[in-house]
Amino acid sequence: MVIVADLEAGIGTLTRLEDESVDATVVVVEPTPRSIDIAARAIAVADERKQGRVIVAANKVADADDERRLQAAFPDHSLLIVPADPVIDRADRDGLSPVDVDPISPAVSAIESLAEVLLT
Amino acid sequence: MSGSQETRLKVAFTGKGGSGKSSIAGTFARLLARTDQPVLALDSDPLPGMPYALGIPVEDEPTPDDVVVEGPAGGHRWVLRPGLDAASFIDRYATICPDGVRYLQFGNLWGHISSLQRAQYAWSQVVRELDPDAWNLVGDLPGGTRQAMFGWAKYADTVLIVVEPTVKSMHVGRRLRNLADADWAPEHLAVVANKIADPDDVRRIEERVGLPVIGVVPADPAVLTADRAAGAPLDVAGGPFVESLHALVDSVQASYAGTR
Ligand SMILES: Nc1ncnc2c1ncn2[C@@H]1O[C@H](COP(=O)(O)OP(=O)(O)OP(=O)(O)O)[C@@H](O)[C@H]1O
Ligand SMILES: [Mg+2]
Repeated sequence: MVIVADLEAGIGTLTRLEDESVDATVVVVEPTPRSIDIAARAIAVADERKQGRVIVAANKVADADDERRLQAAFPDHSLLIVPADPVIDRADRDGLSPVDVDPISPAVSAIESLAEVLLT
Repeated sequence: MSGSQETRLKVAFTGKGGSGKSSIAGTFARLLARTDQPVLALDSDPLPGMPYALGIPVEDEPTPDDVVVEGPAGGHRWVLRPGLDAASFIDRYATICPDGVRYLQFGNLWGHISSLQRAQYAWSQVVRELDPDAWNLVGDLPGGTRQAMFGWAKYADTVLIVVEPTVKSMHVGRRLRNLADADWAPEHLAVVANKIADPDDVRRIEERVGLPVIGVVPADPAVLTADRAAGAPLDVAGGPFVESLHALVDSVQASYAGTR
């Protein structure tokens, strides 16, 4: 069985989780300084508490410059890029799952590859 | 316009995570300060977002641990140390921002939890005891309903719920409407509709949340540009976002004039 947990924003829940509770921690980061700052601290907590493999998912990546800045901020991780994609906004607006709105959109495809990475 | 007789604005922004509270609160504070008003920005988010919108760096330790001492038995756990009161605390520890806004942050979540606790007690005491005639207050709460429901925006007589046209954001907005029944219910409770691209969305938000919309803020790519550049929207670009914030300051000021 696979359990997927969506934690509260920030690092509060992560700091309260028992050591070694999970097989992998996916840290989601946007190309903004505030997000990068918080993600860096989340990675440190996950490493320290041995919360499995740490995977950095770079979300809302709009262009090569965004990707470059994020990669520079996390030189020790290979990023899983999730492109900025209007399908997510549309789904959000209508309260639907992006998978149901457009299963082959760029963002959904990227999330699919995240699932593959996690299962290997 | 800065005589001591007039009413000071006491405004807090709340709403779902990511709805735009900090961008709006920070810009609102600076535009209000430009009307020659003394403005104190109050940030109770342990992952502060307001500094970016004000145009100042985030400080890891805004206040040292020794600003507080243990409080008396039966009272607050930590109290400001002797010789330090609300006014002198603001004087020493509130960051000076562009346009003369002063910014009061409590601790960060990544410091020691005990430091965060002390900083929160200090922040709360300052907010309780500051001279209400001396400052206009503009507050920014963390995303979600928890802090607002526990009375963290008691200092405000106007609470503005920032809502974007998504199902989740409108749902949180609707729950925050319950603030109207709290002991500390603000005099004014209204919605700021954010990231609006389609005028029909404003109507949807108003219907779903069940409160009047006092301001409409358009979706503006300049806000994202500012965000990526770590600049304040006000410094990076004029444009629809900033224009709508001017209008919001006017509307809120008018709502005070109307009731007093
Ligand atoms: N009117 C707007 N147009 C376009 N983008 C916007 C607008 N308002 C906010 N944003 C964007 O939305 C995101 C969230 O904004 P902000 O940080 O102000 O929200 P918040 O409610 O304070 O979030 P949090 O709950 O994380 O503190 C940012 O990327 C910001 O640039
Ligand atoms: Mg914020």
